[in-house]
Formats: sequence, C-alpha cells, structure tokens
Amino acid sequence: MSDTSAAPGTAPSDAGLPGLPIASGPETAREVWRLTHGHRLQLAATGVLGIVSTGVDLITPAAIGFLVDRVQAGTADLTTVLTVTVAMALSAVLGATGTAVTIVLATRAYHAILATLRERLVGRALTLPQHLVERAGTGDLISRSSDDVTAVADAAPAVIPVLTVTVFTIVVSLGGLAAVEWPYAAAFAVVLPVYALAMRWYLRTGPRVYRAERAAMSARAQQILESQRGYATVLGFGLAERRHRAVMTDSWGVAVQSLRARAVQSMLNGRLNLGEFLSLTAVLVVGFVLIDHGASSVGGATTAMLLVLRLLGPVNQLLFVIDTLQSALASLSRMIGVVTIPQDAGEPKAPTGAGSAVRLREVTFRYDGGPRVLDDITLDLPAGQHVAVVGASGAGKSTLAAVIAGIHPPGAGTVARPGHVAVITQEVHVFAGTVRDNLTLAAPEATDREIRAALDATGAVGLLDLTPGGLDTVVGMGGHPLTDAQAQQLALARVLLADPDLAILDEATAEAGSAHAEQLDRAVLAVLAGRSGLVIAHRLSQAAVCDRIIVLEHGRITETGTHAGLVAAGGGYAGLWSVWQEGQGSTWPSRSG
Amino acid sequence: MRSDPAGLGRGPLTRWLPVFLDAPAEPREARPIEVGPIEVGAGVTAGRFLLRATFSVRRVSVPAMLLAIVWQVGESAVPVVMGLAVDRALATGNAGQLVLWLSVLSALYVALTVAARLSNRLTGYAVQLLQHRLRSTLSTAVLHPVGGAARTPDGGVVSVMTNDIARLSNAVILVIIPVSRITAIGFIAASLLATHWLLGLMVLLGAPAAVWLMGVFSEQLSHDTREYQGLVAATVGQATDLVAGYRVIKGVRAEAEATRRYRRASQETLVGAGRNAGLLGRFLVGAGVVSGTFVAAVMGLAGWFAVDGQLSIGGLITAVGLTQALLPQIQAIASLSIPNLVGAHASSARVLEVLRDNATSTAGPDDAAPREVAARPALDVVVPNVSGPGVTVRVEPGELVGVRADDRTAARVVEALLDPWSKGETGAGVEVRLDGIAARELSSVEYRSHVTVAPHRTALFSGTLRDNVAGAAAPPQRVDAAVRAAACDDFASDLDTTVGEGGNRLSGGQRQRVALARALASDAPVLVLHDPTTAVDSVTEHAIAGRLRGLRAGRSTLLVTSAPALLGACDRVVELPDVLVPARTAP
Repeated sequence: MSDTSAAPGTAPSDAGLPGLPIASGPETAREVWRLTHGHRLQLAATGVLGIVSTGVDLITPAAIGFLVDRVQAGTADLTTVLTVTVAMALSAVLGATGTAVTIVLATRAYHAILATLRERLVGRALTLPQHLVERAGTGDLISRSSDDVTAVADAAPAVIPVLTVTVFTIVVSLGGLAAVEWPYAAAFAVVLPVYALAMRWYLRTGPRVYRAERAAMSARAQQILESQRGYATVLGFGLAERRHRAVMTDSWGVAVQSLRARAVQSMLNGRLNLGEFLSLTAVLVVGFVLIDHGASSVGGATTAMLLVLRLLGPVNQLLFVIDTLQSALASLSRMIGVVTIPQDAGEPKAPTGAGSAVRLREVTFRYDGGPRVLDDITLDLPAGQHVAVVGASGAGKSTLAAVIAGIHPPGAGTVARPGHVAVITQEVHVFAGTVRDNLTLAAPEATDREIRAALDATGAVGLLDLTPGGLDTVVGMGGHPLTDAQAQQLALARVLLADPDLAILDEATAEAGSAHAEQLDRAVLAVLAGRSGLVIAHRLSQAAVCDRIIVLEHGRITETGTHAGLVAAGGGYAGLWSVWQEGQGSTWPSRSG
Repeated sequence: MRSDPAGLGRGPLTRWLPVFLDAPAEPREARPIEVGPIEVGAGVTAGRFLLRATFSVRRVSVPAMLLAIVWQVGESAVPVVMGLAVDRALATGNAGQLVLWLSVLSALYVALTVAARLSNRLTGYAVQLLQHRLRSTLSTAVLHPVGGAARTPDGGVVSVMTNDIARLSNAVILVIIPVSRITAIGFIAASLLATHWLLGLMVLLGAPAAVWLMGVFSEQLSHDTREYQGLVAATVGQATDLVAGYRVIKGVRAEAEATRRYRRASQETLVGAGRNAGLLGRFLVGAGVVSGTFVAAVMGLAGWFAVDGQLSIGGLITAVGLTQALLPQIQAIASLSIPNLVGAHASSARVLEVLRDNATSTAGPDDAAPREVAARPALDVVVPNVSGPGVTVRVEPGELVGVRADDRTAARVVEALLDPWSKGETGAGVEVRLDGIAARELSSVEYRSHVTVAPHRTALFSGTLRDNVAGAAAPPQRVDAAVRAAACDDFASDLDTTVGEGGNRLSGGQRQRVALARALASDAPVLVLHDPTTAVDSVTEHAIAGRLRGLRAGRSTLLVTSAPALLGACDRVVELPDVLVPARTAP
C-alpha cells in the first residue's frame, strides 16, 4: 500500500541530496534538557501541583462511596449529606483551579522553550556555511523553520494536558483504586494488554495515514497557489478548465485521504471501547467476588466503579494524542538537528590578508562527485579593479563567483579574498516589510538620508515617488508589488549601503525587462565605483566597460585581457561580441504616429 | 501488510471486517453550490450562506445525526447500567443478575460502537463533500473563471480556498454532534425525572445554564486563540521569508540583523502565547467550578433523598452515575461546538466576501448576439498617445510583428491583450480589435480561441515538462518542434521529467524557455509574446530568434520586446511612444 503516491508533486523528489542532519533521540533529549535551563524550578513546581490537583479530584468518588455505605448502614443524616456535598464541591473547585494553574504554567514554559529554540534555529540557519545549505536546498530549511515550528506550537494544547494532568490522573486513579481494594487495580491491569495492542496498531497505522492526508493537503494547496500565481498564464493560454480540473482532482484526493484518516480513528475508537467494556466488566466481576467474600462493601464497589469510569476518559485521550506527540517529537528532532550543527563544521577557512585583492591559485572545484566545474583557475583581481566573466551557459561562471565569494570551498588550490564581500545573484528576494526595512538589513545604522542617497545612486529613487508611503511603503509578500527592475534596483542599493570591499554581481540584472537594461547598467557602475568588482553578465555591454574580461569555457580560462585587446585578438570573445553587435546594430523601419 | 486489503494495518483478528463507506477514488461530480443572487449583495448574510451550505448535504448529515444520537445516548447509559449492575447484582450477590447485566453492558457497547463508527464516517463524508463542492464553486467563480475576466485574485484566495472552506464545512458537524449531545442530556434528565422529579428538574434547568456559562468563557478563549494563531503564523511567515531570502542575506552579510528581527517577532508571539495560556486557565477554572459545583449539588440532593428514604441505594447509585455522564456532554458542547460555530461563521463571511468581490465583472457583451471572426483574423492594437492620435499596431494574418516600447507601455499593451474586457486601470485606453471588431464585443471563449497571450512573468505548473508544454493538448510533433525552437534541448531530453512545484527544479532561464515552448506549441492563430528571453544568454537568444519564424509560419505573432536579436527576426517593428510621459517630452 503506497498511500503517499496519492499526492503527485510531493513525492520525495530530493532523494539523493544530502539533507541537513536530524538529531537522534538522546541528542534531542539532551538539548531539550539544556533548553529547560531557567525553567526547571517552575517545571518541578508544576509537576507537584499537577499530582496534588489530580489527587484532590479523588475526593468525589471516595465521598460518594462513603455516603453509600452510610446510607446502607442507616447511619447517615443531614450532616453527613452536607459534609459530603461540601467536600465534593470543594474538591471540584480546588481540583479545577489546581489543574488550570498546572496547565497554564506548563503551557507558558513550553512556549518560552519553543521561542528560544525557534530563535536559535533561525539564527543558526542563517549562519550555517552556505555550501551546506546549497547542497541540502533551502526548501529543507524553510520547512524546518515553518512547518516544524508550527507543528510543535500546534501540538501544545493536545500535548500539555496529557503530559501533566492526564498522566497524573491515570496514575493517581490507579493508586486510588488500589487503596479501595488492591484486586480492583489488578483487574484493571489485566485489561492493559488490550490497550497496548491498540496502541501498537495505531502507531503503526495512524502516522502513515495522517502523513498521506497532509501530503494530499499540501498538494492541493500547491495547485491552488499555482493557479493564483499563474493567473495571467491561465488566462492567456485559456487553461482555466484544465487548471480547474487539476485543483478539483487534488481536492478529492484530500477527501479520500481524510476519510481514510477518519476510518483509522473510528477503528481506534472501537478498540478503546473494547478496552472500556473489559475494564468495567472486570470491576463488576471483581466487586461481585470481593463482596461475596465480605472483602469489600457496596460503597467500595461504587467508588471503584466511579474511579474506573473517570479513568477511561484520560486513557482514551492519551492514546489519541500519542501520534500528535510522536509527530511533534519528529519535528523537534529536525529543529534540534539544525541547532546542534557545530559552529565550525566545514566553514571554509578564508585566507584573507592580501589586502583587498582577490587571488586564486590553481583552483579546481567539483560538486559532490560530479565532473570538474572549475579547472586550474589562477586569477588576480587587484584592489579597485573591475573584472567581467563571460562564457556560455554551463561554463562555470556562477561557480567561479561562488568560490571567490567563499560560498564553496575550493576542491584544490587556494583562494584569498578581502574581508568584506557582498554578492548579488539573479535571485532577487524582496523581504516582507517596508522599503527601509529592506535596505537597513545590510546596514542597520543607516539614516534615511543615506538610504535616499543609495536609492538615488542606483536610479531607484523614482521608486519612492511611485509608491504611496515612500520609505515606509510595505513591499514584499502581501505588500506593494515591485517590478523585477525595481526589485533589482533595491538589491543594488542594499549592496551600496553594505559598502563591501568586493562586490560580486552574478547576472544581477538579467531578469529585468530589456528596456531597463541601460538604467540598470548605470546602477551597476554606481555600485562598483570605488571598490573591487566581479561582474557576470549576459549583456556584453556590461563586460565592455570593465577593466578586464575573463572568458570561461568548460571551467577553464581561455582568454583574458581588456575589451579592446580581446576584440582585436579575434578569439572567442571577439566572436561573441560580433554576434552581440549585430543584434544591437540592426536598424528597423520605425513607424510612429 | 499485503494480507490486509484495506491497508489499515489490521491484524488477522480484524482484517476480515468490512470498511464502511470508503470514499470512491474518483472525484464525485462536484455540483457547485447554488449561492443565490449574491452579485447584488442583497439578502444573503454570512449566517444564511452558512445555513444553506450546511443543509446542502443533509442527505448524509441527517442519517449521521440519527446514528450519533444512538451513540451519545448509549454513552450516557453506560453509568446507568453500571449503577444498576452494582445495585441488582453486587448488592444482592445474585450471580444470575451479574450475567444478565454484563450481557446488557456488552450489548450496549456493541450498539454504541457500531453507531459511533457509522456516524463518524458519515460525518466525515458530509464534511468532505461540502468542502469539495465549495471549492468547486470558488474555483470556477474566482480562480478559473472560464467565461469570465474577473480581476486577478490576491494571495488570500489560497487561504480562503483551504482553511476557510475547511472551517466553514466543519459547521456540518454542528447539526450532528451537539444535537446528539443535547438529546443525551435530555435522556439523562428524563432518567433522573423517573428517579426523582426534583433531580430531573434540576438538570433540565441547570444543564443549559452551565452550557451557557461555559460557552461565554469558551468564546473569549477561542477568539483569543485565533488571534494567537495569527501571531504564530506571522512569526512562521517571517522565518519563511527570511530563509527564502537566504542567498540575499548571505550575500550582504546581514545574518545578525535578520536574526535580531526574527527574535523580535518571536518574542511578540511569546507574549501572545502567555496571554492565551492565561485565558485558557480562566476557562478551565470557570468550567471546572461551574460543572463541579453543579454536579456536587445534584449528587448531594440525591444523597439527601436516599437518607430521607425517598430514594433506594440503587436509585442513589444510578443518579450518581447519570450525573457523572452529564459532565463530559456539557463540557464538550462548550469547548468544541461553540468555537466551531464562531469559526464557521467568520469563515462563511470571508468566503462570501471573496465570491462577491470576484463575481461582479462579467466578460463580453451581456445581451448582443454572439459575434464571430474569421479563423485567421487580422489583429489591431490601438495605443493612445497623450500628444497625438495614437498608434495602431496591425498584424496581418501570417505576419511576425515586433513592438518596441518602454516597460510600462509594453505592460499596458499586454494587459489589454490578456484581458480586453478589463474595466480596471491596467490596460486602460489600449483597444484590441480582431478583423476590425472590438474585442470587448466578443465573448471570451471566441476571443481566446483566436488569441493566446504569453505574459512575461509566466508560470509553470507542477507536473512534467510535457504537461507544461502541451498545455492546450498539442500533438507530439508540435511539442517536440516547440521544445527545439525554444532551445530547451540541453535539459529537456526527457519530456516526462517533473519540473517541481511551480517549476522550482528548473533555473530561471530554463523556466523561461519552457514557457516559450508552451507558447509556441499552442499553435494559436494569433500569439502574443512578451519579453520571452530576458533570462537567456545572448548566444541562445540569437538561436531562438532564428527558429521562431519557421515555427510560426502562416500564423500571426506579435512580439513585444526590446531584445535586438528578436526584433531583428521580425517582418516589421513598430516603435511605441511612451503613453505615460506627458506631451512636453514628445517632439
């Protein structure tokens, strides 16, 4: 039975990628214990209070049993009844209050620990060596910092009462049962195997079915999201009906999986009912025998019956929550797996010291057992110079940039780089927040004046006139939409504010519409002014203005020199340049009204 | 596991049991729910919409309710049977009575277990059916308006179509479980009435009061819980946003600042969690005190009647058992059903709002007789000019025409071609005509059968390369030719490779080329391409430009771009003036 296959698109696609580590059971326990530091006294007090409160709850059944015996003996009067009633009411009030305080204290400690953990998770995630994350894919990190955090937070209302009150209730009630007459407790213990079997079956079946349900749900959400994001495409290509069918197929897929999950719950219910029936039967039979032998009173049997009846609820609750507990633990170990990655794990040692220059000596690089992407690269980039890297797709340009930036440690050879390097890639991300928030990310101390100057230098100051709130305009997810060109201008302004020694621009302006090319080219020049720069560009106009050009082919440097020199040499670069020129130089009959 | 046909992990003892009401693997016909005259905005309130939706699945939910009554009354009868067993068998020492009452108990458990199982399955089915229908309604009205041209739905529609629909559909449970619980309370009250009239009366009056009181606490709590869940979602959203921008943060070494910002949001959420825990505590104390004292009072009264001789020992034990059974029923109504109702109502309002917002615009003429155009029409795009009469771009059948414009003007032209009926600002002023007939006079089906528009920011969908390229059921040879023309050969040797969610397994340049292949495979009489090669390097762009012409031979193509290589391949190129720049800058 392959339940998960019902969710196309969410199949374990990343198989083969070395994911981020997952903490083992003992590691998770150790780290959780360390996280409780500062909350331990509170947790101990919570435990004691929990036991006392559930103990108080035992007064009611005991009082009823006492009353039954007195009535049967004919020794009860109004005072007895009043005493019993007041005792029951008091125990209800005290028990409820104690339980409530226990749960509140436990919940607060739980969330405080979770907050510490999630903050350390995000902090560690961002400081991990980048090549580790690149290899695992950022998707893994996103799911740990979102899905797993949510799973642990959402488990709180189910898990906390179980860890405090429910478990204590079971223990205390069993103790109470034994206090009435030990055979009652023994009778209940006989039924335990039924519960054990039910739990074993549930742990084997439940998580699998729930996983399939969640996978179906995320497949469905993904279909809806894609239709929303691709609305223009759906419209333009007339794909509405096709997309509707895709969404509805996955919608019914969830229905099928959800009903399977409900089936599993009903089956668990059936097993729990069997356990209940056997427990009650056991109490009645044991009570019958004990009374027959004069070893117990009818009142004692009543107390035992009431204790068993109030035991059944918590036992059922415990079994129902076990899978939530299990999946919360799984999420916890995934979070802790990231937090406990040692600080110096594979952190590429960056021999700087060469002032603000870049120096590569016989550098080679390959991705995990793949072919050589960089082969014997030796390169000097003196401080203040601008170098362009040119080559066809797959020549290794981006890898070279990543090695120089220190994202990937070289396989062989040495890399020296200045202390402060900034990189912009083709991937532009606008953070949810104001325009100011987006820019001060790189320079928290920057004043509004500096921010405006940076925007001005990158030609993005017009952005502020177009957006309603100026620097306070909320952009990014759910905010004011920016065009690709505006997002790139923002990214360039951010680098300007970060003020690095070396700026690496990896196809930083490729995604924007071509009409903005010139403006972005000017912005790039503004960013590079007064610092070393490495530019990887599709548009040769960007390369032409650099001090030096390197042509990369299959991971090797095939040509290097100034623009004029390379064009004159008539090699590969000259060929690319003539193709580019041809495109630029064509003239068209222009009709305008 | 292979020996267990239902795949539910059942052992040899239980695997022969039938699995009732397993869902059919094929989607049921998803009959959209009649939502009534909501366009006018009159009459239909969130409450009425909720009722209408809930009762649309009554053929499933009513049987589920009847079974649930059997189940809940059965649960309440357990303490009664136990009390009777203690009284008749244990107190008398009669073994025959013990066997009798054990049989009654087992019959009771069989009945309530079967009823619970059937009821739960029917309830689940009703909820899922309603979800599916509501989703179908929203999908056709908002996300995929086949004949319409509604405006782009914002990102909120995703959450409405998943979370809100789920919450709204849970209202079905309200006509099943609370009804059965109330019936069970009635049963308890009736049994107590039979024991002693005053005890029954106390429950009849006290239980509703207890439910109401606890409901008040519970409503506050569930309101705050939703607020707190919003906080958690915001914190998680911020983490996602930061990690999604991982490369940017690493690129400018902003790790410390990003962590500091996240910590701030996380601490705010922690404050919310603390407040929520406090409210939970208040609810627990309130609920415990109300129900505990109420039950103590009823039991005390029963005890007095027993002392007074108005009640037998058996009667006392039964009364105690019944009162015990009362507690979980009251608590469940207060802590489950009331929040469910509150949540369902709020979600109903949101679903209704989305339907209203998007169902207002209808495409094409409302009344006129449908107009038709030739199979290969000529296309005219009239772009207004602030200073003059405007420019008309004409594409004769079979022509490849380039349009060069600044980004903003280009975007307006493409918007207008994408949605010529739009009454909004996006494509304002730009008019589209087919064979001289204004596109807004045509039905959207007629228009789209002639014109296919590939927007610049084009989306790929989960599935294989082939699914994406052959979007509109193109024949295989055409797909292959399109893949070649769009220069996808380097990565698309196997068209059955999956592209990942939204195409995330491909690079930006690869995604763009797949999108171009899809446009070329569509074989539309008129194809509009907007900046199709911005993420492609210049050598490849040149190759694409060369192949474009051959593939579009005999059909019309409008290429909105400023890439010189592409424009160089066109029959003609039209330069558009900037529509936004005031007249002063024009010569």
